[in-house]
Amino acid sequence: MNRNLVAIEVDSLVKKYGDLTAVDSISFTINKGEIFSLLGPNGAGKTTTVEILECLRRPTSGRAYVLGFDISKDQDDIKKRIGVLPQEFNTFDSLTVRENLQYFAGMFGSSVDIDSLIKLVDLEDKRNEQYKKLSGGLKQRLGVAMALVNDPEIVFLDEPTAGLDPKARHGVWNVIRGLKRQGKTVFLTTHYMEEAEALADTVTIIHKGKIAAMGTPEELITRYGQRNLLILRNTDKVAVPLIETMGLEANFDSDAGDVKVTLNHSSDVSEIVRALTLKQVPFGEMQLKRSSLEDVFLNLTGETLREAETP
Amino acid sequence: MNRVLIDLKASFKMFFRSKAAVFWTLAFPCILILLFGAIFSEMDSKYSLYVQNQDIVDGEPTLASIGFIEALNLTDTFNLHILDDPTINATKYALDKELSYVLVIPEGFENDVSKANATIEFIYDQSQTSAMVVMGILNSVINEMNLVIASYPNPPQHFVVLQGETIAPKRFSFMDFFLPGMIAMSAMTTSIFTAVEISSRYRDTGIFRKLATTPLRRIEWILSRTLYLIVISFIGMGVILMLGIALFNVKVIPDPLSLILVTTTSMLFSGMGMILSRFVKDPETAGAAANAITFPMMFLSGTFFPLEQMPEFLRSIATVLPLTYVNNGLRDAMIMGEPQRAIMNTIIVAVLCVICLFVGAWITKWEEE
Repeated sequence: MNRNLVAIEVDSLVKKYGDLTAVDSISFTINKGEIFSLLGPNGAGKTTTVEILECLRRPTSGRAYVLGFDISKDQDDIKKRIGVLPQEFNTFDSLTVRENLQYFAGMFGSSVDIDSLIKLVDLEDKRNEQYKKLSGGLKQRLGVAMALVNDPEIVFLDEPTAGLDPKARHGVWNVIRGLKRQGKTVFLTTHYMEEAEALADTVTIIHKGKIAAMGTPEELITRYGQRNLLILRNTDKVAVPLIETMGLEANFDSDAGDVKVTLNHSSDVSEIVRALTLKQVPFGEMQLKRSSLEDVFLNLTGETLREAETP
Repeated sequence: MNRVLIDLKASFKMFFRSKAAVFWTLAFPCILILLFGAIFSEMDSKYSLYVQNQDIVDGEPTLASIGFIEALNLTDTFNLHILDDPTINATKYALDKELSYVLVIPEGFENDVSKANATIEFIYDQSQTSAMVVMGILNSVINEMNLVIASYPNPPQHFVVLQGETIAPKRFSFMDFFLPGMIAMSAMTTSIFTAVEISSRYRDTGIFRKLATTPLRRIEWILSRTLYLIVISFIGMGVILMLGIALFNVKVIPDPLSLILVTTTSMLFSGMGMILSRFVKDPETAGAAANAITFPMMFLSGTFFPLEQMPEFLRSIATVLPLTYVNNGLRDAMIMGEPQRAIMNTIIVAVLCVICLFVGAWITKWEEE
């Protein structure tokens, strides 16, 4: 492993609160320049892990290095080089966007160009607006900008889109993609599957303090997801034996008049359409259901993400 | 240090943008001053009046002295207390017993009335709001008495004259007394409420967590907070004094000791606020907890009324309240001209300030919440 390419290295990290083990001996490595997502339901141990790496909490045992600095000894060195958007981020209500950025830049002694940060998160129209008057999505975007005031090498974003509507969420996603383009390493914790799938280079699924799986979203879906499903609506049951001759699994739902086919490859779709057309088997419409990280989580843990949320 | 200045600058911006903060810190004490000023110039009640009758002949009070005391009684304005011993020094007695009003009917009073040359000595505490009212009532009783005697055949001109003696070392009014109390109260409430409110809100909303990810150290933040509250307390003091001078012609002058007292008071109560906020869960409870501490302190430590007017058991409670020493110290320094006593009070406040600030700084946590 080339250490110059490693942004974060975590080795057997444990965090206990009394009898509760929030983080249970997790290990992983994050390369520089990638978007790494720690995915799991609320209460899985994501925030505890990220706050240990941000030097806000001390681990019960285990080691971790951020940019080669030891989290147990080099807190000052680490804090200078990382940017943090904490969970449920908040800042000074009656300071404007610009003043908040100036305040935090001042804390780092940074001479960052505030206006270019405002532009990066697309808040130019709101630069003189007080924080309390911003909408949820704009607040989160300011939070991301505030995490960048010290030009950090690693940006930690803890649930950056929690509670946002889809439009605001996509706005934040665009900002995160911009960080990757700038060559920054992004550590993203989320409980939204589609967020991890849309943004992350590497996804680590965490469940009850333990790592359940790790890989690129495609790898995880291939390895742990279900195969893609093709649904043919309003069709005849003769379609079933026809498709089975192609070596595929097919079932007829007599109530709905649908045939459901489990695909082996995406190319199977065109083969099925050609065969049905040739034998003049009618069908109303086709729907392709792709397997997602949600299925991966279900397969790995036996629970859906929602079920796994700790109250 | 640069980080402290940045935090201070931001804090002042936020203060002046918050209408509620400006109101409670600056406008509220002014409203209280105006209210109290108005109420106490109109107050009407029975006054405790101590009377020493020295005009005794053959062991019996003279008829003229009895007549005069009876006339006072008829006004239904006084609770009269006759001193048993006609020989003690009445001024010293008033000071020792902390009495506000003592009247002395001198030996030979009856004789002097017949010669139209009688004097009654009135010893009073000028800091009492009612002093002028009481003196006015006494004068009208004497005038009435003069008129009655004047109706006799061939009356002399002036029979009885009231001669006043103030027992306060300097002349000062109720507002002179009241203003240092308001300055102390304002420094206390501003400091404790702001400290509690900011600490609990920053913890509740996660601003502490965000600050903890920056190089700003906890001790730098506490230093900035303390400096901020000292300056706000001084602004409060300035506004209160300006109002007092402009509307009530007060004669209090802030000397270096009173400035030190306001500084230590602000630090003492911001430390207390930090301690308090550690034990409450949310900003709402924090405000209620601060109220629970400041309200009794306001009323029991001689902010609005002299402690001497309170019952004995309340006075003993006052001795354990920090604000009592602030009030006493500020009055000693600003109106009584008692630097020694002011220094003693300042030392007490300073010791409490060091303890509270140290404990507050020690238990204020940003991390591992």
